[in-house]
Amino acid sequence: MMENNISRRDFIKLSAVGLAVAAGVRTITKVEASEGAKGEHQWAMVIDQSKCTGCDQCNLVCHAHNDINPDLEWNKVLNAGEIDGKIVYLPRPCMQCEHAPCVEVCPVGASYYRDDGIVMMDYDKCIGCRYCMVACPYDARSFNWEAFTGENPAVPEWGEPEVERRPRGVPEKCSFCYNRIDRGMAVGLVPGVDAEATPACCVACPTGARAFGDLNDPNSNVSQILRQHPSYRLRENLGTNPRVYYLPVTENRVVEG
Amino acid sequence: MKLVFKTIRETVRDNIRTPWGIWLAVLSGFLFVALVAGLSVFWFGLSITNLTDLVPWGLWITIDLSSIAVSAGAFSLCAGVYLFGLKRYAPIARTATFVGLIGYTMAMLALILDIGRPDRFWKSLVYWNTHSLLWEVTMCVMLYLTVLLFETMPILASFEWLRKKYPRIAEKMESVHHYAPVLAIIGLGLSSLHQSSLGAVYGVIKARPIWYKPEMAVLFMFSAIVGGIALTLLASMLSARLTPKAKVNDMLVERVAQFLGYMMIGYLYFRLWDWLAQTYTYEPGRTEAFELLTKGTLSFNFWFGEIIFGALLPTFLLLYKPTRLSPLWRMLALAMIVGGVVAFRFDTNLVGFLTVISYLPGKAMISYTHYTPSFVEWASGLGIIAYGLLAFSIGVKYLRVVDHRITSEEHETVTVSAGETVQA
Repeated sequence: MMENNISRRDFIKLSAVGLAVAAGVRTITKVEASEGAKGEHQWAMVIDQSKCTGCDQCNLVCHAHNDINPDLEWNKVLNAGEIDGKIVYLPRPCMQCEHAPCVEVCPVGASYYRDDGIVMMDYDKCIGCRYCMVACPYDARSFNWEAFTGENPAVPEWGEPEVERRPRGVPEKCSFCYNRIDRGMAVGLVPGVDAEATPACCVACPTGARAFGDLNDPNSNVSQILRQHPSYRLRENLGTNPRVYYLPVTENRVVEG
Repeated sequence: MKLVFKTIRETVRDNIRTPWGIWLAVLSGFLFVALVAGLSVFWFGLSITNLTDLVPWGLWITIDLSSIAVSAGAFSLCAGVYLFGLKRYAPIARTATFVGLIGYTMAMLALILDIGRPDRFWKSLVYWNTHSLLWEVTMCVMLYLTVLLFETMPILASFEWLRKKYPRIAEKMESVHHYAPVLAIIGLGLSSLHQSSLGAVYGVIKARPIWYKPEMAVLFMFSAIVGGIALTLLASMLSARLTPKAKVNDMLVERVAQFLGYMMIGYLYFRLWDWLAQTYTYEPGRTEAFELLTKGTLSFNFWFGEIIFGALLPTFLLLYKPTRLSPLWRMLALAMIVGGVVAFRFDTNLVGFLTVISYLPGKAMISYTHYTPSFVEWASGLGIIAYGLLAFSIGVKYLRVVDHRITSEEHETVTVSAGETVQA
């Protein structure tokens, strides 16, 4: 950690200077930020369509852990057609794009990038203009047309809420369970390896169709899977560079589970 | 208290049978319904609209975009008068400025209804994402609204009550007209930026191919200028027919109308190339969206609203001398241009949403969705229009907003007096 190498006093001094500079060159830093900052980790998800049975359990734990209105979906499980008489499913979380159209269009900067690539939503800053929903190529955002006040039907059967419920009038979306990643890493766990530090959907999948890990680590399971198998991403022609990869169903890859 | 009610009752009774009274009563009716509708939107949230995740922008955005577009007469005519020295058109610019102020406040009303968190409206001014076109539009619109307020100061100063009660304030407000050229430059800059950026708001959206094109900015800018000038002329002519308070110099109006006819040729030229570019090759999503416009649910709006009655016919009517000289035909043509611009905004917004492009791999699955504004959206939307009409009517009646005789007062360098014939 950087703070370990400099004294507290220096850190405060640096912060003060940093703040002053940041205020001055705010415009410049903002533009740089929209290019997608590269941090130590780059979290990615790999979804194996040959393993996905469309059971929707990922969606249910998602609703419980993120306390989502049953009318809204962060992780829609879609029917993507048939191969050899078997239905192929496509679960669609937020793609956490490297060049996210939602971040680029948000007038107030309520959508922003984390250093680890996660596209975040600041629900307190959002004014509810819905330009991000207009811009998202993956339909990944759901708007809170009304307040979610009742009980969450997914709780407690599918888990306990880990984040605050969003208010009426803002769009919401999948966050790669950043809260689980952060809390897990704080106690030395590894996202993608330790369940407590991994997105709830990946932990809950009964067939192990979802892998999670760090693209910057060549030995992480996502890096290995992507090296070994052909994969694709959604609407790659748009250049958004999604961090959700899919392993397609092919004739050689038998449907398991 | 009783006396107050009695006075109100008597004023109403005296006026209700006059055309002005009926007009006010009708507008008040719309405003009252809109007030109820607007408050219920704030209370119950956007769930009482027909907006969905697939069609998140609907009728209100059309009203917002259209009222900004038809306000463009303010900057274009002010630029003509104060920068290009066409000073004899100053009284028309005066009307346009007032129309502009009304238009932008209408847009503000539509936006405050439309955003999910109206209580956080101020955050759009405090938190900046300079990369966002909507940020640029917000900033320009706020700054331009300020410019318009200054530009309308001399107009507001002609309010009789203000002149009598606070003559010094009225004088100060009046004197702002010395800065008209400076304000015109700032206004031209800000308007050029955001009128085109409103098109670019759609033009940069790669996910929706029908929008994703650079000419969106050009088309929005061009259509705003023709729509803005058309509404200014139409409002002036209509007021002059309806009330003796408004006086127009028909020769001035006719000259601007002819210029507008030529502008329409330019607009049609851009629309033609836009059309050719979209039909030339197949592009998934774009071609289907274009078919929605030309053959699908939006085809009536497109062909009749935008093209035939919105552009072709009025261009002919304004360029063909006998129809242009006839006030009735001219007014009809102007109204059609305004309608055409509104239809263009409505269709452009909706076509991108109604064409749903699948992100599933392997096949370009394109489906159509639908959207019909709810009663609440209509009620509040019509109320915003009623507010605009009311504000303009009051301006005509009390602020001499349409008065082509006040050339000399408005700008000192012009030496034309009221009785003189103006050389065209």
